[in-house]
Amino acid sequence: MTQHDPALLSAALAGAEQALNQAISLAPHSHQELDAVSGTLLGIEVTTLDLTVYIEMVTGTDVRLMAHCERETDAFVRGTLEDFAALATSNDPAATLINSGIELEGSSASLITLQQVIARMEIDWEAPLVDILGDVAGHQIAEGLRRFFRWGEGARASLKRQVSEYLLEEGRLTPPKPELEHFYDAVQSVAMRVERAQNQVEKLLAKAAARGTSQ
Amino acid sequence: MNDEATSNADRDDDTTDFGYTRVDREAKAGMVRGVFDSVASRYDLMNDLMSGGVHRLWKRFTIELSAARPGQTILDIAGGTGDLAARFSRLVGPEGKVILADINAAMLEVGRDRLIDKGATGNIEVVQADAQALPFKDNSVDCITIAFGLRNVTDKALALRSMLRVLRPGGRLLVLEFSKPTSALLGKVYDQYSFQILPAMGRLIAQDADSYRYLAESIRKHPDQETLLGMMEDAGFGECRYHNMTGGVVALHQGFKP
Repeated sequence: MTQHDPALLSAALAGAEQALNQAISLAPHSHQELDAVSGTLLGIEVTTLDLTVYIEMVTGTDVRLMAHCERETDAFVRGTLEDFAALATSNDPAATLINSGIELEGSSASLITLQQVIARMEIDWEAPLVDILGDVAGHQIAEGLRRFFRWGEGARASLKRQVSEYLLEEGRLTPPKPELEHFYDAVQSVAMRVERAQNQVEKLLAKAAARGTSQ
Repeated sequence: MNDEATSNADRDDDTTDFGYTRVDREAKAGMVRGVFDSVASRYDLMNDLMSGGVHRLWKRFTIELSAARPGQTILDIAGGTGDLAARFSRLVGPEGKVILADINAAMLEVGRDRLIDKGATGNIEVVQADAQALPFKDNSVDCITIAFGLRNVTDKALALRSMLRVLRPGGRLLVLEFSKPTSALLGKVYDQYSFQILPAMGRLIAQDADSYRYLAESIRKHPDQETLLGMMEDAGFGECRYHNMTGGVVALHQGFKP
């Protein structure tokens, strides 16, 4: 039996599928690239939620999300929610994928190709606004939204920098990165010296034991 | 009388359930036809209103579980207004075939018109057929779906055997049908909804409270999850199982022809 209520999962997937297909329809330059990966079937298992979702690229303009699929997947990824969250927010997804606990079965090429196509997608958010509100109002609102998002991005970066500065300089709540690295180096150096000393002591003890038996 | 006893009575005498009343077996099909003749034109609208659109999610999962592939033949029994058939049509592609079957001509007419409007033509056949005596060759179909139709069939065991005959070995049957809520509290809320709100909505939108009262009653008389599972196994299906949806208000049963 399925653990999750299939109707609830279907609702979530239907919503996500509609949003994805809407986004794809607003990125006409990506249709050709997506068409090249049509037929690709990916499986994603989030172990912490006991949830598996299948993503099928039906055509260049149609993505299908499913809770159940009996076809063999081209690639199947399995990991915890934290692993996928780290991957989604990572600046270097390939490195995060390698270093995280995510397991990959099947062809990584299809997964990477799809990830690259999605990364290159340029969604024209202005088009639906223009369709609904007309050329002038639609463009003005889209321009306003773009400014708002640019400000949001700047504000986020600035906040991150200021919080970091406060924690390091004002509050002295965390040590600076070089200081921490120096500390780690020192700990490592001490650990190596202790290990060396331990080896020498063991050698001396072994020699002493050998002398004792020969006399 | 419980559902199992009801099905035994179905076999033992010449009467059967029509909602909460007992009617002649011969008369039931005509009475069910009357109900669906009455609601056909507003069937989809009423389904959306009655279920809050959730019937689309139940059907979506049914489509996923069918694992329909290009080139397959799918039989959608009691397919009525054709919403499952339209989706199957895309999945099986031009080399496959979808048969939309229903005993009710009025429902089929609405379904056929709707499929044409959606552009789903070319690989769909529309057939007026009784589920108890399907007019198709043995071992000719890859998958059969019957969504919200089995409870209206007079002899369910006979219909299940007919479906088994038509399926290819390895083919699957999917029965999507109202069932028994798994929680007592949900059951009480559901009863209030079915017998108070549902007929009122039927009166308001379809000007037909009686038909919608019959729908509510027929749901209560339909075998629960385990009983239907047993009926499928008795008919000869293998690997039978079911998925409860929306707290058991609806269940999707699956069985394979060995």
